Amino acid sequence: MEEQIALFIASMIRLAMPLMLASTGELVSERAGVLNLSLEGMMLLGAFFASYGTYVTGSPVMGILIGVLLVLPVALLQAFLSVTLRANQLVVGIGFNLIALGVTTLSYREIFGPLSRVSLPGFDPVHVPWLSDIPFIGTALFSQNILMYVGLVIIVAIWFTLTRTSIGLAIRAMGENPRSADQAGLSVFKYRYGAVLFTGAMAGLAGGFLSVGDIHTFTENMTNGAGYLALAAVIFGNWSVWKTVGACLLFGAATSLQFQLPGWGIDVPTAWLLMLPYILALVAVAGLVGRVEQPVALSIPYRRN
Amino acid sequence: MMKNYFNEHAQVLLTTFGAVFLALMIGLLLVYLTADDFSDALVAFFDGMFGSTYAVGASLNRAVTLALVGMGFVFASRANLVNVGGEGQIAMGGIFAAAMALYGGVSDLPLGLAWILPLIIGTLAGSFWCGIAGVLKVQRGTNEVISTLLLIFIGLLVVYWSVQSDSLLRKPRTNSSTLPESAEIPESTMLPYLMDDSSLTLHVGLLFAVIFAVIIWILLNKGELGFRLRAIGLNDIASRRAGISAKRDMMLAMFVSGGFSGLAGAIMILGEQWYVTAGFSSGYGFDGLVAGLLARGSVPGVLMAALFFGFLRSGGLTMEMMSGVPSAVVYIIQGLVVVFIAGASRFADKRD
Repeated sequence: MEEQIALFIASMIRLAMPLMLASTGELVSERAGVLNLSLEGMMLLGAFFASYGTYVTGSPVMGILIGVLLVLPVALLQAFLSVTLRANQLVVGIGFNLIALGVTTLSYREIFGPLSRVSLPGFDPVHVPWLSDIPFIGTALFSQNILMYVGLVIIVAIWFTLTRTSIGLAIRAMGENPRSADQAGLSVFKYRYGAVLFTGAMAGLAGGFLSVGDIHTFTENMTNGAGYLALAAVIFGNWSVWKTVGACLLFGAATSLQFQLPGWGIDVPTAWLLMLPYILALVAVAGLVGRVEQPVALSIPYRRN
Repeated sequence: MMKNYFNEHAQVLLTTFGAVFLALMIGLLLVYLTADDFSDALVAFFDGMFGSTYAVGASLNRAVTLALVGMGFVFASRANLVNVGGEGQIAMGGIFAAAMALYGGVSDLPLGLAWILPLIIGTLAGSFWCGIAGVLKVQRGTNEVISTLLLIFIGLLVVYWSVQSDSLLRKPRTNSSTLPESAEIPESTMLPYLMDDSSLTLHVGLLFAVIFAVIIWILLNKGELGFRLRAIGLNDIASRRAGISAKRDMMLAMFVSGGFSGLAGAIMILGEQWYVTAGFSSGYGFDGLVAGLLARGSVPGVLMAALFFGFLRSGGLTMEMMSGVPSAVVYIIQGLVVVFIAGASRFADKRD
């Protein structure tokens, strides 16, 4: 029993991690007033570029870095459309997701060949001495790959920056009242561009975690809605870092149940378990579990007079 | 006034065609880069679109589906609501139409009721699926983009569940290799073909698309409903003061919008596929959404965009089969069209 619970917790965290990286990244953008529906596409691009980088260099670390770097120009383009051209952020996101799906599928088939499943080198688990021996949560929390710990550090840094620093205050001002922020001498464009680029990097990292860090290969459309779940997690988390992380863990738990329940002798249609994160997300965005308080200026382009 | 009006329309047309042209050129470049033999790939592409009466029929049938989804999108967008969940509504429309055709006891009904009733059920199922988002929007202020998106994934999994489960649509297992899919619908419930020519598989769905296009065009442009929806879309609070029941009309807009996609899903099953498999909707909902976006609120625009993408997708699939160029090129073209138009639309009103 202990082993099963430990397995469940480990798989929950593993499945939640890409969502946590993408959603806390998106949180920064949204607090600055920009909605990236393109999160799904940027994750998919990150997953592909990281796989390709790992495949070419033979090093998963280089691969992930390449993945993150190559998503940045895409995020920049998205910032140009959303911030400078003041295009409809929802429409831009839908367009980017289609392009990302097309580009990754096309490149994957050109480079690896259709249906090939190249196995990529991944990361070895890091066993933290002593801590990894704690019953139930030991192996789940302290025997994960290095990327997991890097991710957690970044998430803590996001929380700290957003809530405890002047940069965080400025970012939040961009999403609540960009006009006064502008009048106070802060550049709305600079902050919003920066926030979107950061979101892109995080989405790239999330994608890299999925392909190189977890599955060790790339498959067509492998994110399959994870980006949308990450967006829902931000809403579920009411734009707070820790609540968003909690939402991701809940989605991860729901997804990992499909692997655990059969072992526990519980027979439920797989489809129900696969549906669970989306249903939870829908319940959450419907505000059925508390009030939804989004940043006032979210998805409203700022125009200087 | 008149001159401005024409200028604006000319500008919209120009940016739309400019965006499509540019995206097509980039698509062509990608085909050039990935094809072993560029001219073979192009020949396959045109074969897939117009090469045979079968190809034309298949492309037109595809365009019917996209046109219906696109019209649903345009209808909701008139009230400033964005229904991006066509894919999920197609899924629900398809399985309910199939369930009705298979187990609803309709197959012996006269006067075409054998296929009309499943179409109606499918329409209602899609309508209900989008209506959930409508109710949440009105009652809870939930962003309908996010809710319709999430409903896509739930809807696709409902299809998966229904073809996996013996107590739902899965066909009786006769041996160990029976696939997880529904049984084929009875012949009487299949949509009739428009022509006797057996190579032209064009079904009555086309008539539905045309008739509904006319009805929707009249409703939106001539009727009181169109005016009310537009008023809500432009200013929700002011229209409420003017006595327009915004909540009711917004809900109506979402139910109608989803009904179109539900009908599209029902037509896909009854007209061409004849049985349900997991993932039968295969991106039609997204293609229809792009057609709706491209049309920018115009019903004739939806028909043109649906024809364009219907033929483009058919050509892309044939090209993939014959010359190995992945049809994913079509996604790139569609995405570029959307992004170009979104980027250009603000350029146009920069002058004010």
